[in-house]
Amino acid sequence: MKRITIIAGHYGSGKSEISVNLAIDKKIDYIVDLDIINPYFRSRALQGLFDEHGIHLVESTVKGMLNSDMPYVSGEGRIPFVNKDITAIYDLGGTENGAKILIQFMDYVTDFEEIDFLATINIFRPETATKKDILHTITLLEAQTQLKVTGLINNTNLIEETTEQDVINGEKILLEVSKELQVPILYTVVEQHKEFTYPFVGERINLNRYVARKWTLGGK
Amino acid sequence: MAKVLMKGNEAMALAAIKAGLDAFYGYPITPQNELPEYLSKQMPLHGRAFVQAESEVAAINMVYGAAGAGARVMTSSSSPGIALKQEGLTYIAGAELPAVIINVMRGGPGLGGIQPSQADYKQITRGGGNGDYYLYSLAPESLQEAVDLIKESFDIADYFRNPVMIAVDGLIGQMMEPVDFEREVPKWDLKPKTWAADGNRKNRKKNIINSLYLDPNDLENHNLKLKAKYDEMRDKHQRYEMINMENAEIVIVAFGSTSRISRTAIELLKEEGINCGIIRPITIYPFPQNAFNEIPESVKNILVVEMNLGQMVDDVKLHVQGRLPVHFYGRVGGIVPEAEEISDQVKKIVGGTYE
Repeated sequence: MKRITIIAGHYGSGKSEISVNLAIDKKIDYIVDLDIINPYFRSRALQGLFDEHGIHLVESTVKGMLNSDMPYVSGEGRIPFVNKDITAIYDLGGTENGAKILIQFMDYVTDFEEIDFLATINIFRPETATKKDILHTITLLEAQTQLKVTGLINNTNLIEETTEQDVINGEKILLEVSKELQVPILYTVVEQHKEFTYPFVGERINLNRYVARKWTLGGK
Repeated sequence: MAKVLMKGNEAMALAAIKAGLDAFYGYPITPQNELPEYLSKQMPLHGRAFVQAESEVAAINMVYGAAGAGARVMTSSSSPGIALKQEGLTYIAGAELPAVIINVMRGGPGLGGIQPSQADYKQITRGGGNGDYYLYSLAPESLQEAVDLIKESFDIADYFRNPVMIAVDGLIGQMMEPVDFEREVPKWDLKPKTWAADGNRKNRKKNIINSLYLDPNDLENHNLKLKAKYDEMRDKHQRYEMINMENAEIVIVAFGSTSRISRTAIELLKEEGINCGIIRPITIYPFPQNAFNEIPESVKNILVVEMNLGQMVDDVKLHVQGRLPVHFYGRVGGIVPEAEEISDQVKKIVGGTYE
């Protein structure tokens, strides 16, 4: 895993859940919540969990203003770009508009090899259902950030209704994207309680849902 | 079509497109922003109109104009923005025009907060603006239900020539769920819009869109004509779901997100041997009063659960008519009650320790 991982994708593509899971599993130093697009279901709501795991949370300039709908981020967000001893995960807001915020840090990057810029893809999201749609999404992300996407995350799911075949179908489409762009599928996400045995491409993230509360899952 | 995974606000927007939405006028406010954002991208692709107006007041008056011209038209907002739209809504109801309004509710009063709430119940169910009028108001509890009801809501608005309100809270707007957009929904028997001021004057006398009646007799007749619609809504178009009513000793009344959480609560109660039912209003106007005539003899208490401070309690009491004690549990400020909080309240009532 590279020192800095930036996670981008559409609304509800799984960015925050994946960021939180990776931060905990990989014992990352900083999680930087850059979601200034939407004040719901953000990783910054999990301060207690990060404290428990010794992960430093960076969010707004006004600490604890969880429900402020203000589009700003603490200057601390820059630190992992300048201090090479710190590992970090950057959790972006939804769509290319949510990714735009990264531009402010680009002046501080001295070595792009230290950075993974990952696109989270779920083929059940209509905007990323086909190879063409996914390539378009990635083009928009790259145009807004001036960063090249360096890897893909297969997060194909229908929440509780996900089958193993669904994730395999997602992988098939993502392999075509991978071939076209010459970037790897770095991670495949599977909910922790699903007993899928297929040898998915890339490292497997056994996902715990921390961000979405339990009663928003399943339901009627 | 197979299911797709959607965010609530996007799902509601796409449902409106599927229903033949011709034009959308809106103004941004959290927590419904993805809805106009989605339409701003999609409506031009479908050759339809999307306008971000300069204010909520402008948006609702654009809705008024487009509805008068016979378009299928919608606006969306959240509580403070919906409050701003009340003047337009009463004009639209007064001029007998169809329109769909989505309210993704947040906490109040005033600017309140940005987290989920059901605190606009009274505003929605009592009309909201001036004069004798009501909005046919639907309160879905899941994204699939929201999509199905929105697809149908344009027919309902056209049928009654009256605004239809889709009342959800921020949670429904923001959550992710699998949705099937191709499910069949009821088709209403609709007449051509011969009343529309659509610029086509070839074969008819001119149509006038108006809510001003200076002659008291004319206005009274107009009011009575509107009342006949509301009576028909009440008599023929109440919607509700009764859940787990057989041998229930207590019944929860809850709509939208709180009914969803109550479903989990009654499962917790089952494990402890308590049989709890749910009356789930799907229309909050007309209030589903018929449901209260179907409550079995076994029920000894009613518990109303809302994300407000008890705005629906009066309606429930009115239709329980003193036959059963009516209790209330609610959370406000944008706090969503946990299933355990609701089941604890039920246990207190059943155990006789409720204060």
